Amino acid sequence: MNLLQRFEVWVSLLVILICLVFLWESWDLPPGSFEPLGSGPIPQATAFIVIFCAGLVIFNALRKPVRLSEDEETKERPSISAGLIISLATVIYILMLHFRLMPFAWMTTLFLMITIWSLEKFEKKKILPALITAIIIGFASEYLFTEVFIVDLPT
Amino acid sequence: MDIELLFAAAGQILNPWPFFLLFIGTSLGILVGAIPGMTGAMLIALTLPLTFYMDPFNAIVLLVAMYVGAISGGLITATLLRMPGTPAAVMTTFDGYPMARSGKPGRALGLGITASFIGGLIAWITLATITKPLSIFATKFGPFEYFTLIMMAMVLIASVSEGSLAKGLISGLLGMLISMPGVDPATGMPRLTFDWYMLNGGLKLLPVLIGVFAVSQIIKDALDIGQVPERIAMSSKGMLMSAKDFMAQGVNLIRSSLIGTWVGILPGIGASIGSVIAYTAAKNMSKTPEKFGTGSEEGIVASEAANNATVGGALIPLIAMGIPGSVIDAILIGALMIHSIQPGPTLFLTNADIVWGMIAACLLANVLMWLLMTSSVKYIAGLMYLPRSFVLPIVMVFCVIGSFALNNTMFDVWVMLIFGVMGFLMECAKIPLGPFVIGFVLAPLAEEKLRSGLMMTAGDFSPIFTRPLPLFFTILAVILLLWPIVGDWMRKRRASRK
Repeated sequence: MNLLQRFEVWVSLLVILICLVFLWESWDLPPGSFEPLGSGPIPQATAFIVIFCAGLVIFNALRKPVRLSEDEETKERPSISAGLIISLATVIYILMLHFRLMPFAWMTTLFLMITIWSLEKFEKKKILPALITAIIIGFASEYLFTEVFIVDLPT
Repeated sequence: MDIELLFAAAGQILNPWPFFLLFIGTSLGILVGAIPGMTGAMLIALTLPLTFYMDPFNAIVLLVAMYVGAISGGLITATLLRMPGTPAAVMTTFDGYPMARSGKPGRALGLGITASFIGGLIAWITLATITKPLSIFATKFGPFEYFTLIMMAMVLIASVSEGSLAKGLISGLLGMLISMPGVDPATGMPRLTFDWYMLNGGLKLLPVLIGVFAVSQIIKDALDIGQVPERIAMSSKGMLMSAKDFMAQGVNLIRSSLIGTWVGILPGIGASIGSVIAYTAAKNMSKTPEKFGTGSEEGIVASEAANNATVGGALIPLIAMGIPGSVIDAILIGALMIHSIQPGPTLFLTNADIVWGMIAACLLANVLMWLLMTSSVKYIAGLMYLPRSFVLPIVMVFCVIGSFALNNTMFDVWVMLIFGVMGFLMECAKIPLGPFVIGFVLAPLAEEKLRSGLMMTAGDFSPIFTRPLPLFFTILAVILLLWPIVGDWMRKRRASRK
């Protein structure tokens, strides 16, 4: 199996799991009073069709292993570390905002500084541009959103 | 066409503040379109929270201008980097890039910009003339007509999406399923809330949208951060099309614009499909099809005229029936609903100013796009080389702000993050994201129509098969559903005979 087929199988399994959770939750919904359907059958029917289609995708992926095209084989390797950095940093940023550990502007400055610098592979000459960008965006966005657009921020 | 209302709306847009928003919207759209990895859907989803406190007219002007700008801006990166700035510009890369590489970047961009303008203009004429009659016709739709139309649209979206029909259906139906937790539209009772009070109001469109379109794209772009694009020196030479060019490209321009408009009208199909069909038609009808893919002027014109024409075309079902013609239209429906405006056939009666504002904004943004792009494309092109390591974290901050601003709750921010990861995984498995969002927007309407129809008929499903329009939509949906399977079977049979 190539990488795409592996993704097809795992993502389809995840989709099936989500549908099963919805099916479980919809099972005890009461029947309708004014029409024959009620709340449950539509989510149930939708979940069953999705499970069927996801099953088809898994079946196709397992049935015929396909070689990647020449283009895809020679494609540059993705930067997994960059993907991980931005995902993890975002989770930590949102967690810290959730618990309001610091004011928004400071939190955002810290998030931007660390993320930009690490995406630049901690190059020394990138520290200053990263810091300046982080401070400007962090504080300017707080001012812009709270004072100009009158939008509340998690602060 | 109500000329007076159209002129009144255009006049209102030309006032300083709405015009400023039109200018900002078109410019930002072009800029975002020109930055690889950022899309119009992403920009509009992120801008939506800023429009909460705006007058609905101004908010719609801003969003429509962004839509027009973003579809057009994609051609800059497609031509100079062989990297479509927006998915709609993918066909432009085939000829725009080779032409730019052969030393004529100004010519390639000029052809694309003017073709975009003409495409937008032809689609706008259709938008302004047929939307009202269509909406009057749509007022005759009963619940079963609406339900079957939505089902047909969902099958259509799934069948033309990237990947297989099964993947398109997974995406669309999963979007529908995810929209179901919350208050039951028929009984008003909570359902599928997993006994969690935060889900009583259901999952909101905005965090789901920002997650699926923006966060997933940021993660995807971060994975490609190491790729260094090849630079092409920019020159403005040959930017304006001459009368001779118009004579040579006239038929191609009109044909491609009409194809784009028609594809835009079909519910749920975006600009990418419009440009693919127009490009293929131009190649098939060209006297020099061998030049396609090597820097053909016809190829650039066909792709760009069609993708911009889909914008006007896609607004037609949105205004006339409340059915999104593309992913961005699904976001625009969300924007209307946030401003307590119910999209659908009665929109002309209840909010005529908004409808004509939308139509006028589409035209004015198109003119502004042409002016801005021909005068400043050289400078806009510089944005393509912005370092992604700086852009991506900044956009992520805006995603967080946008999701939080909806209800001032961190729950929406977590929803955004979860759907971002989900969108990314779906993209990895080549499951298209467009049907997911359209399914999410249309599911409540479909369910409400089906159940209210069943209430009217005391549980009788037969009107789906006995009334002409529901029957027509159902047959069409079945054909669309079976077509890939039958087509595959016929291909195999033909191959085995050979």
